[in-house]
Amino acid sequence: MRARRFEEAKRLASSNLELAWWIFMRVSGVLLVFLVLGHLFTRAVIFDFHHDLNYDHMVKVMNSVTWKFYNWLLLFLSILHGTNGLRYIIDDYIASGRARAWVKILVYTFVFLVTVFGTLALWGWNYQPME
Amino acid sequence: MYRGREGQWAFVLHRISGVAIILFLTLHVTEISSSMFGPKWFNALLEFEANPIFGLGLVGVAALVLYHALNGLRIILMDFTSWGVKYQRQLWYGVWALYVVIGFPMLFAMLGHVFGGGE
Repeated sequence: MRARRFEEAKRLASSNLELAWWIFMRVSGVLLVFLVLGHLFTRAVIFDFHHDLNYDHMVKVMNSVTWKFYNWLLLFLSILHGTNGLRYIIDDYIASGRARAWVKILVYTFVFLVTVFGTLALWGWNYQPME
Repeated sequence: MYRGREGQWAFVLHRISGVAIILFLTLHVTEISSSMFGPKWFNALLEFEANPIFGLGLVGVAALVLYHALNGLRIILMDFTSWGVKYQRQLWYGVWALYVVIGFPMLFAMLGHVFGGGE
C-alpha cells in the first residue's frame, strides 16, 4: 500500500487488515526506535562488545528476567515489522503471482523458525555459568 | 513530490536499509540464541567473530539502523501531521543533521572497541 498520509491510507486500504498493518508499522516503528537504539547503546556503544563479550556475560544477560522481556519485545516487534516490510517489497517487485507466493512461503517459514529459536533461547533454557 | 529528488532517495535508502537490517536480524538472533549450545560452542563462535571485519560489519549495520530509525520518524511526521508532506525535503535534511549528531559519537565509540586494546 503506497499511501503517504493516514487519511489516504484509510481510503486506499484494501481491507481492515491492510490498514491495521499500516498502523502497526508506524506504532512498532516508534517503539523500535527506542528499543533498538537502547539495545545498540547498551550492547555496542557503552559496552565493549569486542573485548568484554563472553559466555559468562551472556549467561548473566540471558538469565535476567528484565532483559528477557526487553529482548522478547524487541525480537517480536522487529521480526513483525521487518517481515511485513519484506512483504511490501515482494508485492512491489515480484510480478508473477506464483513466484510471489513461493517467495513469501520461504521467507515466512524461515522467519518463523528464527523466531521460535530466539524464543526458546530466551524462555526455554537454563544457562549455567562456566566454573 | 518525488521526481528523482531527495524524497526518492529517502525512499530507496529506507527500503535497502530495511532489507539489510532484517537479514542481519535473522543472523543475529540465530547467532545469539546459539548460546544454548553451551560455552564451548559460544566462545569458539566469539573467537571467530573477533576478526575486525565483523566489528566493521556491526558498525555498518548500526549506520543503517540509525538511518532507518530517523527516516522512519520522518515518514511518521509526514503521515500524521498536516505539514509533514509539504516539508518532507527539509525533514530529510533534519534526518541527516540528527544522523551526524547521534552517529558520530556512536561511530567513534564502536571503532574504539574494535580497534582499541580493551579495558
